[in-house]
Formats: sequence, C-alpha cells, structure tokens
Amino acid sequence: MDTIVAVATSPGRSAIGIIRLSGPQALEILRSLVQDQVFTPEPNRIVLRQIRRESGEPLDSALVSYFAAPRSFTGEEMVELSCHGSPIILRRVLDLTQSLGARLAEPGEFTLRACRNGKMNLSQAEAIRDLVNAQSDAAVAQAARQLKGELSAALQPAKEKLIEIVVKLESALEFVEDDLPRIQVEQIKIDLVQVIGMVEALAATFATGRALREGVKVTIVGRPNVGKSSVFNRLAGLDRAIVTEIAGTTRDSISQSMILGGIPISLTDTAGIRIANDKIEEIGIERTHQAMADADLLVVVVDGSTKLSAEDLAIISEAMRARHVVALNKCDLVFEPSVVAQLSQASKVVHVSALTGEGLEDLTAAILSPFGAVDSETVGLLVTDSRHFDLLRRTSASLADSVKSLSQSASEEIVLVGLHSALQFLGEITGETTSDEILGKIFSTFCIGK
Amino acid sequence: MVFDEAFDVIVVGGGHAGCEAASASARLGAQTALVTLNLDLIGQMSCNPAIGGIAKGHLVREIDALGGVMGRVADRAGIQFRLLNRSRGPAVQSPRAQADRALYRKEMRRVLECTENLHLRQGMVVDLLADKEKILGVEMQDGRRVAAAAVVIAAGTFLNGLVHTGRRTYTAGRAGEPASIELAESLKRLGFPVGRLKTGTPPRLDGRTIDWSAFQPQEADARPVPFSFSTDEIEQPQIKCFVGYTTPALHNTIRKNLSQSPLYSGQIKGIGPRYCPSIEDKVVKFADRERHQLFLEPEGHDTNEVYLNGFSTSLPAGLQQDLLRMIPGLEEARIIRPGYAIEYDYVDPRQLGPDLQCKKIAGLFHAGQVNGTTGYEEAACQGLLAGINAAATVSGGPPFRLKREESYIGVLVDDLIKQGVDEPYRIFTSRAEHRLSLRHDNADERLRGYGRNLGLVGDGDWERFNQRQDHIAAAKHALKTIRFKKCDAAYAMAVETVGSELGESISLEELARRPGVSTGIIQRLFHFSHNVPITTSELEAALADNLYAGYIRAQDLVIQRLRHHDAIRIPANLDFRSLDGLSHEMVERLERMRPQTFGEARTIPGLTAAALSALYVVARLQT
Repeated sequence: MDTIVAVATSPGRSAIGIIRLSGPQALEILRSLVQDQVFTPEPNRIVLRQIRRESGEPLDSALVSYFAAPRSFTGEEMVELSCHGSPIILRRVLDLTQSLGARLAEPGEFTLRACRNGKMNLSQAEAIRDLVNAQSDAAVAQAARQLKGELSAALQPAKEKLIEIVVKLESALEFVEDDLPRIQVEQIKIDLVQVIGMVEALAATFATGRALREGVKVTIVGRPNVGKSSVFNRLAGLDRAIVTEIAGTTRDSISQSMILGGIPISLTDTAGIRIANDKIEEIGIERTHQAMADADLLVVVVDGSTKLSAEDLAIISEAMRARHVVALNKCDLVFEPSVVAQLSQASKVVHVSALTGEGLEDLTAAILSPFGAVDSETVGLLVTDSRHFDLLRRTSASLADSVKSLSQSASEEIVLVGLHSALQFLGEITGETTSDEILGKIFSTFCIGK
Repeated sequence: MVFDEAFDVIVVGGGHAGCEAASASARLGAQTALVTLNLDLIGQMSCNPAIGGIAKGHLVREIDALGGVMGRVADRAGIQFRLLNRSRGPAVQSPRAQADRALYRKEMRRVLECTENLHLRQGMVVDLLADKEKILGVEMQDGRRVAAAAVVIAAGTFLNGLVHTGRRTYTAGRAGEPASIELAESLKRLGFPVGRLKTGTPPRLDGRTIDWSAFQPQEADARPVPFSFSTDEIEQPQIKCFVGYTTPALHNTIRKNLSQSPLYSGQIKGIGPRYCPSIEDKVVKFADRERHQLFLEPEGHDTNEVYLNGFSTSLPAGLQQDLLRMIPGLEEARIIRPGYAIEYDYVDPRQLGPDLQCKKIAGLFHAGQVNGTTGYEEAACQGLLAGINAAATVSGGPPFRLKREESYIGVLVDDLIKQGVDEPYRIFTSRAEHRLSLRHDNADERLRGYGRNLGLVGDGDWERFNQRQDHIAAAKHALKTIRFKKCDAAYAMAVETVGSELGESISLEELARRPGVSTGIIQRLFHFSHNVPITTSELEAALADNLYAGYIRAQDLVIQRLRHHDAIRIPANLDFRSLDGLSHEMVERLERMRPQTFGEARTIPGLTAAALSALYVVARLQT
C-alpha cells in the first residue's frame, strides 16, 4: 500500500492550508520534512515544526499532527500539516512529499481507504461526500444523519416486517406436512400495505432531500417592466439587479445564491421577454428561454395593475409546462379585476408588492412548498441520494406486485417473487438477507420437523 | 504395493449415495466394486421409510432425468404416493412416497445385481491407500488390498458413529451395525478437516398394539404421481398413514427427565438438524405448544413395524416406552426398536470441487452424509454425481458438474462446496434462487440431455423423452393459438366454468393465467377444440411455463442486478487481514475460498454489508 497526499483545504489563498498524508510511510515522510529522523510525535497532539527544503533551508513553519493507525480517519498512519495558506507554499510542500515517496491522492481516495479499512461503509462514505459538498445547515444535518446510518436504521422495521412475512409464506411452502398456523392473507396484505407506506414516505422525502443536496434553480421570468428585478432584489435581500423604469433594463441573466428556508437556492433574474429591439436584448431573451428550460421552478412576474398582454399569456403558457408560481406584482396598487379572474383558475398565484415587500413571505413559501419545508435541523430523515431513491421506488413497486398477487389468491411462490425482490433492493441499503437467514428464522419461529 | 484385486472404481458404502455412485460408474463402463458391510442391507432406509417431499422430490426427479436409479426403485417400492402442495403452484409441488422398507432394499439390490461391470463385495474398508496426491485403492479389515483409480466414500453415519440412548452410548454405524472407526481415522490421517454432526431417529412400534381408531387416517393420492419419467403405473397397493398428537402431560414428563437426555446433559457434542428436532427439542424450544403432531407410518406390507414420525428421541429406551403410553391411541403400544441419536464424523465439503472430487487427493470422491448432508435424496444425487465423475477420471472424460440455475443438485453442491455446513444440510426450495424454473415437471427438459450424452439414458427412455417434449411443444403452441370468441360455443362453456366475463375473445393461455382456473378446466377446453393426444402431466408442464413466464423474467432482472458487480476482480495478492471490517472468521473463510471476483465473495455466508462494501471498494480501487 502506498502513501497518498493531498491538500485538504479548498484551493486559493487562505490563512491556513492543510496537507494530509495517509499510508505506511506517512511518519517517515514527516521526519524527512522536518529533517529530524528521530522525531516521534505523540498521536493526536499538535506540535509546531519547521518544514525544510532538501537543502535544509526553511520552507514554512507548520502545525503538525500525527494519527497512529488504526485510530485515524483512514485507519492508516496519517499526518496532517497545517501550513500557511499560500498556494505556492502548499504546492512546494506537496512537491516535497512526493519527492519523498508519497503519491498524489485521487479524488475521494482518503474516504475510499477509510471504507476499505472498515472505518465506514459505502453509504457513510456517500454521506461524507454530501457533508463536504453541503451548501446549507439543513443539508449538513441530513448528511450527518446518514453518516450515522440513519437511513439503514429507518428501514430496519420495514425489512424485519418483510422477513417475518417471507418466513410465514416460505414455511407454508416448505413444510406442508407440519402443523403450522394458517396463513392470514388479509393480515399479510395489511402489513404489506403498511410497509409500502413506510417505504413510499421515505421515498417521498427525496424531492426535499435532493433540493437540499443539489440546491434548487429558481428563475424569475416575465415580460419587460413588470418588476422582475425588484422581486429578485427582494428575494435576494440586496440591491444587486439594476432597477429602472425603462423596460428592458435587464439585458442579461444574473444569478444569486442564497438559502431560503434551509434550501440552497440559485435565483436567476432574466431579461424580459418581448420582441427584441436590438441584438443585445435578443441574446438576453434567448438566454431567458435557456434559463427557463434549466429551472426547477419558475416565478412568473405579472403586473397586476394592468390587463394581461399577449406577451404575459405567452409566458404563462410556456411556464405552465414546468413547476411554477405566478407572482402578481404591484399589489400596492389596485389590481385589474380581469387579471385576477383570468389567473386564478390556471396557476398558483401569490399577490406581492416588490415595492413594499408585502406578500414576499407568501412568495417564499410558495417557492419552497414543492421541495418540502426544511426550516431547521429538526425535520425528519430525508433521502438525498438518487440511488437510494431508486431502490426505495423499486422496493415499493415489487411489494405492490406481491399485494396484487395476494389479492388474486396466487400461490405463495408467486407472491414471494415480489417480496424477495424487495428484500434484495432494501438489502442494497441495509445489507443482504440470505436464504440461510430466512431458514434460520423459520426454524426459530415454527416447530418444524415431521 | 501388492493388491489382491483391482477395479477402476471402488464405492465404499451401499446406502443411497453408494448405490447411485456404483450404478452410474458401472453403466458408464468402469469396472466398479461396491464394498459394503452387509450386502443384505443395500439401499437400507436408516430412518424414515419415505422418499421425496418438498424439494427432495425435485432431487429424485433430477436423479431420474440424469439416468439414476432412485426414482425407479421408489416407484416399485412405494406404498403411499402423495403429490405435496397440490393446491399450490407447480414449482413447489413435489412427489413423496412412503416406501416398503424391505421391498426398497430388495429392488435396489436387484437393480445393482443386474448391472453389468458392477461387483458387490462385502467387507469393511479400514484404510485409504494413497500416493501423495493420488488415490491408489483401499485396504479391507480382513487384510485384502483392492486397487482402483477412483474411490467414492459414501459411508453415511458410519464414520466414527456413536449411538446415544439416555446415558448409554456405544459405537455403531446404525443401531445393530458396527461403526467404521479405522476409515474415519484414515481420513483424519490424510489431513481432511473433520467435524461432528448428530442426527436421530424415533422408535418403531408394533402395529398390533396400536389403537388405530384414535388417529386420523391420511389417504394416498387416488392418482399416484410416480417419481420416474419412465414409470407409467404405480403397481404397489397403496396404504393409509395416520396422524395423532402428543399431550401436555407427555411434555411435562419430558421436561422433568431432561437430565436423562444426552442432548441436554452435554453428552452429545455434534450439531443436529434444526428442521428435524427431537421431541425433547420440540418440547423445550416451543414450550408454549400444547401438542406436537405425530405420524404413524407403516413400514411395509409384510411387517408390523410402524415408524412414529415426529418423535425422534435419544431419551432412555424405558422412558420412551412410558412416554408413548401418554399418547392417545398408544396407551398399549409396544416398542420394537427404540429411538436413538447418533453422532458421526463428516468431512468439511469445502475441500471438494464441483465434481465432488477432493482437491488434495485426485481420484477420491465424497458423497452423502460424509459431506455433512442429511436425507436419502441429498445423498443419492451426490452419489450419482460422484459416480459419474469417478468413471470420468478413469476414462479420461471431462468432469461433469451442474449449475445452480439448472438444477437443485447444482444448488446443493454449490452450497456445500462454497459455504460448508453448520448443521446437517437439507435441501429446501428457498435455497434455489431460480425456484420458479426448477420444477419437478421439467426436470427431464433440464437434465435428460445430459444423461443421454453421458450414456446413462437408454434408447427407450430417450425416445419417450422426445415424444413428451414434442407433445409439450405442441400443447404450448395450441395454448397460444386456441382463442375463444364470444360467438364460439366453447366461450360460453369457459365463461360458465370461470364464472366471470372474459372480454371479446381470450386465448387458452390467457385463460389459464387467470387465478382459480384449474388444469382440469383447461384440459376440458383443450380437448373441446383440439384433437391432440396429450397427457395431464404434459399439459401441466406446458401450463407451468406459461404461468411463470412473467415472474421468471422479473426475477432474472433482479438477479442480474444483484450480480452487476460480480465480474469485478479481487486482486490475487490482497491481504484480507488488512480489511478491519471483517471478522476473524470471515478473514479465514476468505483466505480459504480465495474469491477471485466480487461475485464469488458475495456468496460467502455471513459477510456483512459493510464488509462487502469494503471489499468492493478495494476491488474497484485496484482494478
């Protein structure tokens, strides 16, 4: 096994930059770096040392910590060097470690080594990736829960219930001559529907989970001069977009990252859609259409004080094809009654005033509602990984097949097809169930033995 | 070394594994000696006088399809045939038959006696003669040395057999027969990993002392389904068995006397089968049960002996008699042979290849209980495989092996050699991931061709098989093409039998998939519109494929998904000890198995999800 090295902090200039080494040579390389061949640091303690070039010339003074195997993140010998955060210094130290025998780590290799050494399982590793990439507090909380194995734990009751049912059905098949309790088909159906409910409920958290993990793209659209940029600024809480009374002021799309209700949101303001007056505006409008196609949710801003124009209607009908909210702006003025009537049937409409800030909370809530409310860290467990989501959906579909077979009074071996498939899918999250385990359970549950 | 006699193949043991091995080997042209302690006990059923049952019946069908003898002999000696799980789907139906114990022995002996190249020898094998890595022959108790290029060990419970009744123990292979102690020692000397298992048997009663009116009769099937694809008719007159129950008073007496049970006193060290517990175990482990079921199974037409199924015990013989008196209907019953437990040696089957040949000694094969299995059918199928392969080593032919997805025999052998055994291994349908395709009705379709190619299936049987396959194919075609439209006379008949509307038109195949539509209904409609000669069994096989087609596809997809990563290679030089997530035992198993791919590692039992994912990561990282 070779020793790997990488800069652990993000690229760019910063106060401190951390370099991590993992592998059997870590301590040896550290000794060469500080040019002290008998240097024996106490594990898990921080000490200050000079890192020197091969010539002996000092390169940087760094805080050095040593973690002895197996009590380290990767389970291997590890060293962390907290250097000064200049990219040049870090580059030099990195080069130096490589010349001393370390290899530059592949992305994620530290975590992979931790997995391999039994420090965590794959789903925990996935959680670490999420933790590192988390963009909001709620996302951090979710990743931390998964790291603790909560998804697997949450599925345990479902899995146990399924095994219990499988045990009943399998023993009815295998031990026909034994004096076993009669199969209660209706009870099994009720239990299965309950398990499906459990699995579906978890799967349903994926919309929120994904929003948390990957963030949500919200794009503001509308015809020129309805107040899109004002709404944008209100939501973003700053005067970033230039607002004038001249229609077509926003020529290009601009974006702002923010956290709304715990969810990372990338909010985009776009050029108003109309027949362009010049080339620049034409390109801007093209980009608007692009942004509309990419968005997870569209906020269509409409001026409530005037009648709907053909442009408004065209934009609304385009937005109808996607997830959207209509912000009926200028509610500080008197609304044109025909507009309210026309819109109320078609879409989710929120009355706002970008000028006064009225209705902004309603708008925020309307934007967040498709992604679930995740205001704090107290929300339940969320499925954040699309692989887990897929497995849960497959589990639920397989179980639905079994329920259908039961309703048709199909023979047990047919009902069991769906149940075994479901256990297989769940097993990819919670660990496999072998036929030996099921047999063992049968023998401990029922008195078998003609 | 000087030898007194020489053969191509020697089979040690004349039980169910030994008979199949000797028969197959001889019929494949190898000069074969069957050496057994007592020629009059060839094909003895040591325990329950019954063949088949769920999954076991599948094995008998597969043995028959390959050209083995068990099915035919059972058909001639069966005195109560029942197709189990008749109310369930065809994949889990399985034939079972009570046999006349003496008749079964007689029939098996007759079959072996008229097999060319097969030589019966009475005697006890005490030593295996091997030259480093190659078997040379065996040495007998009387000093004779017999040479052979291949030896099949099929010694059953005889290896170091130790019988327990109460606190009394004595060495024996079965009650009344000597144990094979030197041979067991010889296996240990050769360095085989040897373990200890336990099994038990119930008392046999005098039928004249039983009040039969206290029990519920259990009839044979009106239309017996034979084991063998070659059998047309079951000729033995069919008998009844009887069902009764134990009582709470009996349970209490057992509890009070547990100290006399060698199972509970710590005297028995071997591990017994959980699915065949002794009555002591049933009473202790399922204390809340008010009663346990018992079966009275007459042992034959010409004997008063009755097998008390469900009452396996190692309690003292006197106590057994007292306990029986507490069973309604057995108040006056007398024991002819008491029940007992027996401990015996087995050799870890993980030292075998898929052809059942020992990896360390070429030409040495192990079959049956020596591999840690239990059951006549499990033994017989291993005997057949070992016999085929023993003959192949002599003739230089390729080894014969069966895959999990094509047979229960493949499942059994694969489980044995990959996972080893923790308790006596019995086959179950749930062990087969391809359960819906591995049916008793299509065992011939799956395996007959192999039997024919090997040379174990004769012309007559082959002709018969082809005819059956033609009929099934024709039936499948007809099921697809026969459609009933609303205006057809048969449509009205179909609606009437099904009891619900069937749409504008419906094919016979679609109709058959409807729940509640029996083979009988389809058969009537089939003959109504189609004049093909087809037997019920052929129609059933055609319908079974139709019934399961969709499910088999769905299941295959799941299995494929599971095996998606199976091709990932595990580095040959990987030190499993470096994987902290693995338990010590797992590391040991991994080291012994040396899995080359992730798929092979996945089938090693007890590996946790975390350990597997660790292994997966290593494999992916290094390839």
